[in-house]
Amino acid sequence: MSASSRPLLEVRHLATEFDTEQGVARALDDISFRLEAGETLGIVGESGCGKSVTSLSIMRLLPKPAGRIVGGEVIFDGQDLLQLSPDAMHGIRGNRIAMIFQEPMTALNPVYRVGHQLEEALLLHKPELDERQRRDACIGMLEKVGIPAPERRLKEYPHQLSGGMRQRVMIAMALLCDPDILIADEPTTALDVTIQAQILQLLRDLQRENGMSIIFITHDFGVIAEICDRVVVMYGGRIIEQAEILELFDHPLHPYTRGLLQAIPKLDTEPKSLLKTIPGMVPSLLDFPPGCRFQNRCEFAEPRCREETPPLLGEGHQVRCFRAEEFR
Amino acid sequence: MTWYFLRRLLLIVPTFIGITILVFVITRFVPGGPIERMIAEAQQASLQSGGGQQLGEGGQTLDEDQLRQLEEYYGFDKPVLVSYWEWLLKVLRLDLGTSTRYSEPVWDTILERLPVSAFYGIMTMLITYFISIPLGYWKAIKHNSHFDHASSFIVFVGYAVPSYVIGIILLVVFAANLEWFPMGGFYSEDFEDLDSFWQQAEDILYHAVLPLLAYVAGSFAVMTFMMKNALMDNLAADYVRTAIAKGLPFRKAITRHALRNSLIPIATHFGNNISVIIGGSFLIEKIFNIDGLGLLGYESVVERDYPIVLGVLVISAILQLLGNILSDICVAIVDPRVQFK
Repeated sequence: MSASSRPLLEVRHLATEFDTEQGVARALDDISFRLEAGETLGIVGESGCGKSVTSLSIMRLLPKPAGRIVGGEVIFDGQDLLQLSPDAMHGIRGNRIAMIFQEPMTALNPVYRVGHQLEEALLLHKPELDERQRRDACIGMLEKVGIPAPERRLKEYPHQLSGGMRQRVMIAMALLCDPDILIADEPTTALDVTIQAQILQLLRDLQRENGMSIIFITHDFGVIAEICDRVVVMYGGRIIEQAEILELFDHPLHPYTRGLLQAIPKLDTEPKSLLKTIPGMVPSLLDFPPGCRFQNRCEFAEPRCREETPPLLGEGHQVRCFRAEEFR
Repeated sequence: MTWYFLRRLLLIVPTFIGITILVFVITRFVPGGPIERMIAEAQQASLQSGGGQQLGEGGQTLDEDQLRQLEEYYGFDKPVLVSYWEWLLKVLRLDLGTSTRYSEPVWDTILERLPVSAFYGIMTMLITYFISIPLGYWKAIKHNSHFDHASSFIVFVGYAVPSYVIGIILLVVFAANLEWFPMGGFYSEDFEDLDSFWQQAEDILYHAVLPLLAYVAGSFAVMTFMMKNALMDNLAADYVRTAIAKGLPFRKAITRHALRNSLIPIATHFGNNISVIIGGSFLIEKIFNIDGLGLLGYESVVERDYPIVLGVLVISAILQLLGNILSDICVAIVDPRVQFK
């Protein structure tokens, strides 16, 4: 893919703030990335690094009134989503950009039948379909996501399905209107490993079929490796590195990324040897150190890191570190 | 499901027997009773007639024979359980006995009061639901706003001040001083002369405004907060976020998704309300001079009119037991996860 052609989605200098009891927390700071048509972009980072807030900001689903977008642009299909009227945004959500979440156990409404909740998306975005067509579309989609006996499932309630089945229903619901982008916010985190593998395979298959782009949010590099074309690594509300998947795994540049990759246990490491970890804790969003946000945990930090914020530099493989050149 | 409710209905029988046997036995052992009351009345009467000559016979107004006749008449001559059995058999034939105070069938006395209590009970319940559900809804949506704080203040005052105090204040202000509403009663004295149904209805409602305010003031606090808290919980629920991510506007996500889940705790309460409400509050009935079941029950306890005490108990026990089952049915209707086996 060439960087010059217009991407499907381009996030530019996005900044988001949250009001908290202790003051205003900047949850996202200068987030910029591109998503090309048909590609899968991974966003990876620890809890609280802003990866979920990024997806909620794109969808304009931040919890109100605590959270708000304070700057930047989200250009989708030539228009800035942040400038759209609420009504126009309703037409985008679930239709052009759909989303699935981490907790399939609670993401479906317990008091409505699966069929009702599926059809709701069609009623909203494809009002021209009649009842029969809606039903057929739902059954077809449930079949596609690998749910056996879909006619029967339509009449069941969410509590009658297993966790993996529910996530499949969520995926079916998200894909009913054939969206351009699917944002998957840790969709496999709550599932056990075999189901996780099935869901990832399913997403890959569906993507091949309908050519959608996926933004895949996770804290699990293993999942990233399986599904993503490109990766954005976030720390403390900032992007600290982004690169093609193989490039990132082979030549991680930021000390944080390197630390994360080293912390993954490998099959060829000595059994019972000590796992490498990153020392210290992620500071709260309210008291990040000035300069580079990772400097207080970084073994390569130098005086300049405490004073200036390093810029995100590089073509293709971008990194936010003064000393990145030393690791290239 | 059917089997479950059938079993629940059958369980009413032993529960009912338990409740009534307890009260029946208590009425036997509590000091004072219809006979003692009659003796006292007779003494009163003879004192007032200025006589005193009959008092010569050992200070007794009634002789042994009359006493025994009375005991037999009230069934006090037999062991407790035997008379309970006889009473129960009569209840099964829908015969609740005769009031010792009014010498009228208990059924007639109760049926005379029941519509009054039912009117107030059902009106209170409807008004409470009509206020609480929308109010709780708005408070949840406007959480932490001026509207939320102001309405919370009013709700808490209504909850903290006993309803009979509210009743008295309403009476003093709106009936005595401003004379906007009548001082009490269920309807006017010329009620029978009112021509149309509408005039009669208007008369009843006119009398009902103040008592209903007193009833509602005490009862809508719990419901309002139950509604608000349930809705707040559900607004933060994942499935509401799913609904919005699907493209639903926020308001529709609430009304279509969060609202129904929030009604589950309200539905749980529904059956209990019925029995409590038809029983009425004797304090409010007393203040507003309304002849309802609450007042009847209270007065018969004071006057040791046991057939009426037991009659009111029968009605309220059955309502309570049916109300519980009704609650379960309501919950099963709104929440598909609930399954009775």
